[in-house]
Amino acid sequence: MKDIFQDLFNKVFGFFRQAEKEENAKETAVNRLRVVLMQDRTNLTPELLEKMRGELIELLSKYVEMDKDALELNFEQEGNQMALMLSIPVLRAKDEDEIEAAETSDEENEESSEDNDEEQVSEDENDTRTDETESEKQESNTNSKQNKSK
Amino acid sequence: MSGRVIVITSGKGGVGKTTTNANIGTALARAGKKVVMIDTDLGLRNLDLLLGLENRIVYTIVDVVEERCKLRQALVKDKKNPNLCLLAAAQTRDKTAVTEEQLKKICEELQKDFDFILVDCPAGIEQGFQNAVAGASEAIVVTTPEMSAVRDADRIIGLLEAKEEIKSYKLLLNRVRPNLIKSNDMMSVEDVVEILSADLIGIIPEDTGIITSTNKGDPIVNDENSLAGKAYNNVARRIMGEDVPFLNLEEDTGVFAKVKKFFSGLMGKEK
Repeated sequence: MKDIFQDLFNKVFGFFRQAEKEENAKETAVNRLRVVLMQDRTNLTPELLEKMRGELIELLSKYVEMDKDALELNFEQEGNQMALMLSIPVLRAKDEDEIEAAETSDEENEESSEDNDEEQVSEDENDTRTDETESEKQESNTNSKQNKSK
Repeated sequence: MSGRVIVITSGKGGVGKTTTNANIGTALARAGKKVVMIDTDLGLRNLDLLLGLENRIVYTIVDVVEERCKLRQALVKDKKNPNLCLLAAAQTRDKTAVTEEQLKKICEELQKDFDFILVDCPAGIEQGFQNAVAGASEAIVVTTPEMSAVRDADRIIGLLEAKEEIKSYKLLLNRVRPNLIKSNDMMSVEDVVEILSADLIGIIPEDTGIITSTNKGDPIVNDENSLAGKAYNNVARRIMGEDVPFLNLEEDTGVFAKVKKFFSGLMGKEK
């Protein structure tokens, strides 16, 4: 009698553990729907999302070394509010010299592909100090986001 | 008298718009209200079948619009309930045979004589949908706990929100399967409501009785013992302003419940 009880208990417990591990069909449906509805509602096409992702990588790699393949850019819903969540696995923050080097090379080589932020920085060298604080802020932001999502 | 015009719509086909229409209409009529249903699915009419009125149709909505008959002549009375009428769709014409303006006019005309005008909307978001919505001030969005149906319902809600004439819309969740929800294989009512952030007016369980009632041409609300029938009846009562709690659809017949039962039995013996 005890053996039967034990066996059943293990089976049921095992079932629970398995259910815990894998995302069930319902959760998959809810999560997939959330994402697809976000895109439906914003009219943001996958192509545009991909473009945005590319540009963000370009911008942020000036300041941090990251795992580009693991970067995640997704819509998430918090109540009625929609949020664009960016999760960046940061390998290492770049030091000031590297950032400066990247900026000067930007200035020299890629004037056409610079976005607004970068233009502001490169136009006036006196502004580099404020830029540094900005980059620090950005680092801490990405770190906190990463902590939140992992 | 100025009746309420309610459009029943879904975006996706096959989620139970027409079944919902037939049952809510019948339930409202059984409660003593004067009800007319308009089938706007030109070319693909089915509401007549669900009500068992397919052999009684002489004139259709297109005949009314093209002035081959008076509006009153085209209304087909229900077999069981004299409070209930149907304005059938034309089977041989397409969605362009009636315009938004014409439908609006028909609805206005019917508002004088009826408490409720239920407009059965075709699937899709094209002209047929635009026509059906034109005369309505309220909407019921029918969906099921399936991804494609919920996605389409979201589109429809977006379109309804953009329409000034639609003052309110409510969600009706059809074909709910409590056992699948319990085993986490199907989205729950709460999931769908949260995703669509809309007010709920009804939860209808999946019921094989719907198939037999459709085959007989007799809406399931006429069957007092049916759970789906009860659920539809409650929807009608909510439409009339009554505060009716949602039915508890959970039956303890799932594997889960059996294991639990077996377990508690064993526990009892051990003690």
